[in-house]
Amino acid sequence: MTTATKKGLQRYYEYRDRIAGLIQSIQESPEPNPVLIKFFTLVNEQDKRVIDCVENGKPLLSSWYGSAPEIYSAMDIEYFCPVDNILAHQPFTNDLEGMDAANIPQDMCGLIKLGAYGVEAGIVPVPTAIIAMLEPCDAQSAIHEAWKNAEGWRDVPIFALDPAYGVGTKDYAYFAGELRRMIAFLEDHVGRKLDWNRLREVIEVTNQQYAAWGEYNELRRAVPCPHNSFVGGKLGWVITQHMKAGLPGAVEIFKMLAFDAEQKVKAKQGPMPKEKIRVLWADLIPTWSDAFGGMLEQEWGANIVMDFQSYAAQYDPIDTSTEESMLLGLAKRNMAEVPMIRQARGKVDVMIEDITRIAKDYKCDCVIFPGHVGHKDQSASIGFLKEACRELKLPLLALTVDNFDPRYTPMDVLKRQVGEFFDAHGLGK
Amino acid sequence: MSESKSEALREFVEAAKTLVNPALSDYKKKGGKVIGMMYHFIPEEIVTAAGMMPYRMRATGSEGTELSEGYFTQVNCSLVRHFFDSGMRGRLSFLDGVVSVNNCDHIRRLYDNWQWKVKTPYMHFMVFPKKTGKEQVEAYREQLEGFRSSLEKSFGVKITEEKLREAIRLHNETRRLQRELYELRKADAPPLTGTQTLAALVAGTCIPRDRYNALLKQLLQDCRAEKGGNGWKARIVVMGGEIDEPKFVEIIENQGGLVVGDALGYGSRAIVNDVDETGDPLAALARYQLVDRPADPRIFGTTFDRNDYVVQQVRDYKADGVVSVRLIACDLYGFEQVNLSKHLKKNGIPHLGLEIEYVIDAVGQMKTRVQAFLESIAEAKHDNRN
Ligand code: SF4
Ligand code: SF4
Repeated sequence: MTTATKKGLQRYYEYRDRIAGLIQSIQESPEPNPVLIKFFTLVNEQDKRVIDCVENGKPLLSSWYGSAPEIYSAMDIEYFCPVDNILAHQPFTNDLEGMDAANIPQDMCGLIKLGAYGVEAGIVPVPTAIIAMLEPCDAQSAIHEAWKNAEGWRDVPIFALDPAYGVGTKDYAYFAGELRRMIAFLEDHVGRKLDWNRLREVIEVTNQQYAAWGEYNELRRAVPCPHNSFVGGKLGWVITQHMKAGLPGAVEIFKMLAFDAEQKVKAKQGPMPKEKIRVLWADLIPTWSDAFGGMLEQEWGANIVMDFQSYAAQYDPIDTSTEESMLLGLAKRNMAEVPMIRQARGKVDVMIEDITRIAKDYKCDCVIFPGHVGHKDQSASIGFLKEACRELKLPLLALTVDNFDPRYTPMDVLKRQVGEFFDAHGLGK
Repeated sequence: MSESKSEALREFVEAAKTLVNPALSDYKKKGGKVIGMMYHFIPEEIVTAAGMMPYRMRATGSEGTELSEGYFTQVNCSLVRHFFDSGMRGRLSFLDGVVSVNNCDHIRRLYDNWQWKVKTPYMHFMVFPKKTGKEQVEAYREQLEGFRSSLEKSFGVKITEEKLREAIRLHNETRRLQRELYELRKADAPPLTGTQTLAALVAGTCIPRDRYNALLKQLLQDCRAEKGGNGWKARIVVMGGEIDEPKFVEIIENQGGLVVGDALGYGSRAIVNDVDETGDPLAALARYQLVDRPADPRIFGTTFDRNDYVVQQVRDYKADGVVSVRLIACDLYGFEQVNLSKHLKKNGIPHLGLEIEYVIDAVGQMKTRVQAFLESIAEAKHDNRN
């Protein structure tokens, strides 16, 4: 076993080199896309920082989405989500087969199964400390405990963020307390102090980043929608949740995206010759989104104009005037605004309100509810969803998929189900 | 022990097989109010202190999930689908109220759907923290305070500190008696089978408390006068969540394994510790649910304690192996068997992991696996002796 393999770095070298190759091929293409070049450059830098930490023994956190990454940046701590790259590089690896062979229940979310497999198989570096987020699903709690039972991870110090269930001032105050306790944990176990002024600077950048994303999303309301299915959320999720927070380049990406969208809206130009169906995808973006979005576009002139992962219009700017206001703002952002934690944590109301608002604002013709196998709460909300769609007079297609495993419901089955649905409701005619 | 020898045991076994037992019917006829505990982590003591009867909700006897189909999908655990179907059919209409916590992703939506469609007259929801700690105990204590006020307001009762203390003492008394029952299972030939024990514990969640405690005392007496049978292939500890179906244990015992101990929600985990009888009763109740009780996977950060707890049960009850069980689609128990399996292997304890539905079907397949497991233990024991 090489040292790189031992440290779980072998994969990171592959990720780094693959992304570098991708950047080069975009640059050399006849019409290089500047947004993608910028985005993948940030991704590449992120991977290099992880490698640097492992190679040189610098602190490296394992973290999860919704964990206020602004704080890590302000403490100058690098972090990664152990499953992020496994998902991003899925088409180039045999991880799904590895996951099948691992001793993991079949009926769980693919992301969770891949994350458990990745750590068990040693393709993920062992972090200095772990920050776990216990919402929005049961499986997140379970995977972090599974990691604690994995070779080499047992003694890694861990802090778990327990978000409240509601959306009131008291709930945010409780979670702000959790963030304070997380800071104390990091100071103890990673040995870096939080610089509140630096936190202010980082938040000011992320405020701009979310505002720019919000502006881009506003432009997607246009008919026709200026860009293809899932565009904003695909980049936005990685930038806001899995990348060092507060990078000015991140703001720029959203601004570039918005600028391009604005030109297209002015020109009444969409990504397909004629936009016939506007779809609301009521969940996160699947790893097989390119194939699915492409199929919708080519077969039916359909565009997923909004989805839960892209729905960043709800981010409020954080008041950076005091330490308390920053923590409260971060608490609200991470508990009530980050996708999925927003819609799946707490009572069913938020999800239904979001669907209602998105459907109206984005002039959707129908709702597709993927019924992701991991989203037990959402599947148990199907009655509410049907009722909401009835009130909106919008057709609803409920599928069963694994957002992170393209094999769970093969594309030809999805194609048939979607086709029958569009036909039955006379959509796209 | 045969049920004909113990009236008390017969009543327990019958009570576990139905939703409404005769003692509960009598209590209702006399105007008693019953509050359904939708799953666990809800201190029953508060309901007792309010002069009402806490009832752990089950869907025993459910024959299908047709009425759940429009509200849940196949990715939801069958427990909630059976619960909801039973609710829609009015099988739980004897409940005057329902209280729940955000126990898991399925249960929290069961509550939302129940509130929407089943509409039990009184409904209350509490937020249960996902980990333990001082702040979490304080937060849950506040939730319990809210529950207390809500009961007082809705039912026109007064729940004083003294009444809470009294209720804690009463429930501790139940736990103490139940622990005595468990002690008897440590014997080489225990007077009770695992199936009977689980029935006795399930009965404790649906028979009015005073009667239950009296019956439990009687059962203890009956057991002391009785010697159990020998000839079991292996002594087994079972591990799982809120399994309210003694049939699961019966399947193991019908194949020749004697279930002597457990780490089940209705079993030892509900009784090994008492609620502190001193100090602020609500704080004691919050601490009991979050800290003092042996945890289940809903409480993050307790994985090693849970693994150790099972090993301890094996040692205390001189068991030969562990059978763990998970309800299909349950994420909280998703990795439990995987983690436990590694831990038991390190400790040289044989383990069999099963996946079941709430209403146990596929009995044949389960029997075969259990049988093979018991045979392998019996063979290993035989080899060790020679
Ligand atoms: S994708 Fe959904 S089910 Fe999977 S880990 Fe995230 S919140 Fe949980
Ligand atoms: S078995 Fe698991 S999923 Fe089902 S109700 Fe219990 S904790 Fe929830």
